[in-house]
Amino acid sequence: MRTLLWVVAGVLLGGIIHIVVILSVPAVATHNIWARMAPLAPLNKVVLLPPLKPGEANPLQLDPALSYAVCRLNLKTGPGVLTGTLPDAFWSLAIYNPSGAVSYSITNRDGIGKNLNLGIFNADQTKLLAQQEIEVDDGLLIVESNSDDIFVVIRLMAPYDVVRPRYEKALSAVACGNIKQ
Amino acid sequence: MRFLLHLLAMVAVALAVGFGLSYYALTDGRVLGALRVGPWAAWPGVGLPAPDPYTKAYLSRTGILQLGQAEGLAFTATTDSAGTPLERNCRYRIEGTTPVATFWTLQAQAPDGASVTRPDGLRELESRQVARANDGSLIAYVSPSLAPDNWLEIAGQGPFQLILTLYDPSNLSGNSVSVDTLPSITREGCGT
Repeated sequence: MRTLLWVVAGVLLGGIIHIVVILSVPAVATHNIWARMAPLAPLNKVVLLPPLKPGEANPLQLDPALSYAVCRLNLKTGPGVLTGTLPDAFWSLAIYNPSGAVSYSITNRDGIGKNLNLGIFNADQTKLLAQQEIEVDDGLLIVESNSDDIFVVIRLMAPYDVVRPRYEKALSAVACGNIKQ
Repeated sequence: MRFLLHLLAMVAVALAVGFGLSYYALTDGRVLGALRVGPWAAWPGVGLPAPDPYTKAYLSRTGILQLGQAEGLAFTATTDSAGTPLERNCRYRIEGTTPVATFWTLQAQAPDGASVTRPDGLRELESRQVARANDGSLIAYVSPSLAPDNWLEIAGQGPFQLILTLYDPSNLSGNSVSVDTLPSITREGCGT
């Protein structure tokens, strides 16, 4: 009977260890997405991720059917803005914060079509925008970010391999930077 | 003496439960965070702005570039529908309907994510380029040997996994995930 009590105590303690482990993994993990993207994504510049080669390790779990463009932004120097015209194919955009979570995502089917015109504002800049103290273009899609450090990933699906170079050229021509305040 | 034995037993149980459960939750996660449909598993919360602790730990541990909630969801299968691990020298029939999505892709990968398809063959199957049956369902073969219908040729030896990525799936919009039909994976035989 007493042994059983000790075992139950062990299971309870194990539960506590489990919770501590799960909650501490994000803090101790060194290969999270932010650490992996930092060397690939320069600040305020759109770069294409290198295409996947057969047999090559794929730690980011990229899909070889898609082309990926990434741009890192820091909102401390002003709201982030991405503008460009993308081909008439499926594309999507996601904003990642330093914890590795996607704070915002959208696809071209959500009513924006071929034109990408996205403004990323932190909480303070959103307030200034509401007070009309920041000038923005008409038609800018406003997104609020909960973090100043972000990176944006655009995925583009070229329907055929022959058009892929042309599509990737359009993708790398997307402008990414800060609105000067 | 007896007290010491009990204490040791308690510590052993605590460590086994604590770390064992954590490892299980972050690899298989069948009962904890993952969505399972037949042999397929996905983490439905990976694209959320504030994922739950299990999903967050899974993301930090794997370091993958996950899809946002609006973009889609990736399902992984490491076994066939009968529960046998997938082997690269075997022939698999993928059969059934896929959820409504703008498009999907089916990749065959080694556990490290490297593609296991034949280097100058098809990279993966894409929904826009596959042939379908009259009722819209799919029959595809993932196999090192010649196969009819849609054939994804794989090469080499060892385990692999299938990744089915649904892009822009209309029935995943919002936070409620309801995918009830994914194709079955049937092993049809293995080469030597």
